[in-house]
Amino acid sequence: MSAVLEVKDLKMYYSTKQGMVKAADGISFTVNQGESMGLVGESGCGKTSVSMSIMRLLAENAKIVGGQILFKGQDIVKLKEEEMNKIRWAGIAMIFQAAMNSLNPVYRVGDQIIEAILAHEPDVTFEEARERVAELYKLVGLDPKRMDNYPHEYSGGMKQRAVIAMSLACNPDLIIADEPTTALDVIVQDMILKELSKIQKKLNMSMIYISHDIAVIAEVAEKIAIMYSGKIVELSDAVTIFKKPAHPYTVGLMSSFPSIHGEKKKLVTIPGEPPNLLNAPDHCRFAPRCPFATKECWEKTPPYEEIEPNHYVACFHPQNLRKQVSING
Amino acid sequence: MDEAKSAVAQETVLKVEHLKKFFPLRKSPFSRAKSFLHAVDDLNFEIKRGEVLGLVGESGCGKTTTGKTLLRLYEPTDGKITFLGKDVTHLKSAQDRKWFHSKSQMIFQDPFESLNPRKTIFDIVSEPMNIQNEGSLKQREERVMEILKRVGISPPDAFLWRYPHELSGGQRQRVAIARALVMNPQFVVADEPTSMLDVSIRTQVMTLMMDLIADMHMTFIYITHDLAVARYMTDHIAVMYLGRMVEYGETEDVIQNPLHPYTKALISAVPIPDPEFKRKSLQIKGGIGKAIDPPKICRFYERCPFATERCGKEEPPLYDVGNGHKVACFLYEKDGK
Ligand SMILES: Nc1ncnc2c1ncn2[C@@H]1O[C@H](COP(=O)(O)OP(=O)(O)OP(=O)(O)O)[C@@H](O)[C@H]1O
Ligand SMILES: Nc1ncnc2c1ncn2[C@@H]1O[C@H](COP(=O)(O)OP(=O)(O)OP(=O)(O)O)[C@@H](O)[C@H]1O
Ligand SMILES: [Mg+2]
Ligand SMILES: [Mg+2]
Repeated sequence: MSAVLEVKDLKMYYSTKQGMVKAADGISFTVNQGESMGLVGESGCGKTSVSMSIMRLLAENAKIVGGQILFKGQDIVKLKEEEMNKIRWAGIAMIFQAAMNSLNPVYRVGDQIIEAILAHEPDVTFEEARERVAELYKLVGLDPKRMDNYPHEYSGGMKQRAVIAMSLACNPDLIIADEPTTALDVIVQDMILKELSKIQKKLNMSMIYISHDIAVIAEVAEKIAIMYSGKIVELSDAVTIFKKPAHPYTVGLMSSFPSIHGEKKKLVTIPGEPPNLLNAPDHCRFAPRCPFATKECWEKTPPYEEIEPNHYVACFHPQNLRKQVSING
Repeated sequence: MDEAKSAVAQETVLKVEHLKKFFPLRKSPFSRAKSFLHAVDDLNFEIKRGEVLGLVGESGCGKTTTGKTLLRLYEPTDGKITFLGKDVTHLKSAQDRKWFHSKSQMIFQDPFESLNPRKTIFDIVSEPMNIQNEGSLKQREERVMEILKRVGISPPDAFLWRYPHELSGGQRQRVAIARALVMNPQFVVADEPTSMLDVSIRTQVMTLMMDLIADMHMTFIYITHDLAVARYMTDHIAVMYLGRMVEYGETEDVIQNPLHPYTKALISAVPIPDPEFKRKSLQIKGGIGKAIDPPKICRFYERCPFATERCGKEEPPLYDVGNGHKVACFLYEKDGK
């Protein structure tokens, strides 16, 4: 398998009046061709910041202060803006959080996608682009006749499909989908996730799914990265993350999630409040909420290490890897 | 002790009969309404003391409208609401209104909008007591401290004089819960009280509410579109579809054995947090609209994979298929009463 994206020790900080917000603080992961990775974590932990760094669409006060982002071997952190423009959409495309609102209300939906194709592929004629958009509409389950409608004539689910069609327009190698279905109800969410998975497999694309909903991630991702306070605290294949989580935060997350499937288990709570990324401390950021924290955890940041093949954890006290564990003992 | 508890549990706190809430649709504020949006259309149910009823269904099906109408924040269009044996459908006298509103409360959908940004936490939480003119200032302060501690805002005196923007989302949601519970209400409508919260905080707030309900024998209506949350929080579930109740039953019955095609589709679409589990979903067509002057046919007719000609001609009644499990679908005509 060849790596499409390798993120190595990425650091992206926001400067604010109150201090530095270390939204991505030493992030490393790899996405192979045809692979789908899930990036999970609570609101504000830095998921969107990581994806905006990969797209190089940074806020004015944001800066990549360290690390590499290798896209097909090339470090895009160093690329000039014109070079990055060629990669954006054609190499890496993104379905933005609240994507439904990212369509321009005054243009016909189909024309917006055609525009995106023409901007990247000057050799393509308008008719060819229109033909391609019609194909994409069919692919995402929309009627090509609806291309001539305006966004307000679409339902929420239809807009979401149109945005997915747009992300596919220039045949990208990698799509980053940031909470692609959060605003939708479960029935529509289900249809769209199925569609996306089908297309991804058919075109052998790579995907990064971002969500705070681990149930959604369980269904679409082969590999999962758990993020907490600007850092990846655990990364492995989906089954390992769910069946034998090693980081205490992951363990807590897994047992605090209600499910309608199987026996009704007692919900476990993770005590304390979510962390503040502003002026984050120089020790394990989960220590204040961790039942296993020792003196060491309050003094140093645990290294992010491969504790068994393809299972990375940043914790001084990874939980017993041979049996399933639960945080309440 | 269990006997005492079950004796208490027999008492019906709320009885709802043929409840309707229609919104008039007018061209201009002065013209006469030609059409009506049937936001809540003929609801019937009862809730006993200590029981939690879940209202579930997709966006716009009428959950919030039902909650607000039951708490008499909206005037019902038709039907009857009986609370603790008293008819509260109209609440004509000031005394009746005071009595009803001292015993019932709502936790609103959005804690960012529902807490007044210019008031301190003390003012916000004590407001129901002020309105009711309950206790001295000192007694109010003690009560506020006590309830804040109960909802996990501690130490409470560190929070009393703060403003909502100085609190995290989870803390705000807990303040909204404290405000609703400060007068020991007997009946609470909680409208998506955890939808804005992160996973870990959400579990904290859910656990807290379950404890409070059990300790204080409160009667709850819990509104949510998340069936996994409903499974944990509720004893019974009512599934709503375009203003109608299409299914009702004990929570585990509805989740393990959904009967109405809409409930089946809804439950089969919920993602399962288990990467090895292969879920099969029941696919249904299109999105929902609004029940504007709806014809007397099944409201799910156009989307239903099992619809027959009859479903497009008459409206199915609620059939009781046993154990109080009810469903509004002709497929169950033979099994039901
Ligand atoms: N332009 C900015 N300036 C300063 N801080 C910012 C800026 N944008 C984001 N942040 C902060 O950076 C942190 C990470 O934000 P980010 O949007 O990446 O989180 P997220 O994990 O995507 O959260 P969500 O699930 O809510 O979308 C947050 O604490 C946020 O408040
Ligand atoms: N004050 C109002 N005036 C007119 N129409 C209203 C009013 N409030 C709600 N509606 C309409 O009544 C229907 C039911 O709305 P309601 O807010 O009860 O839905 P809901 O089930 O709570 O949805 P959600 O899950 O999005 O909160 C919707 O079609 C809505 O547009
Ligand atoms: Mg985000
Ligand atoms: Mg609502």
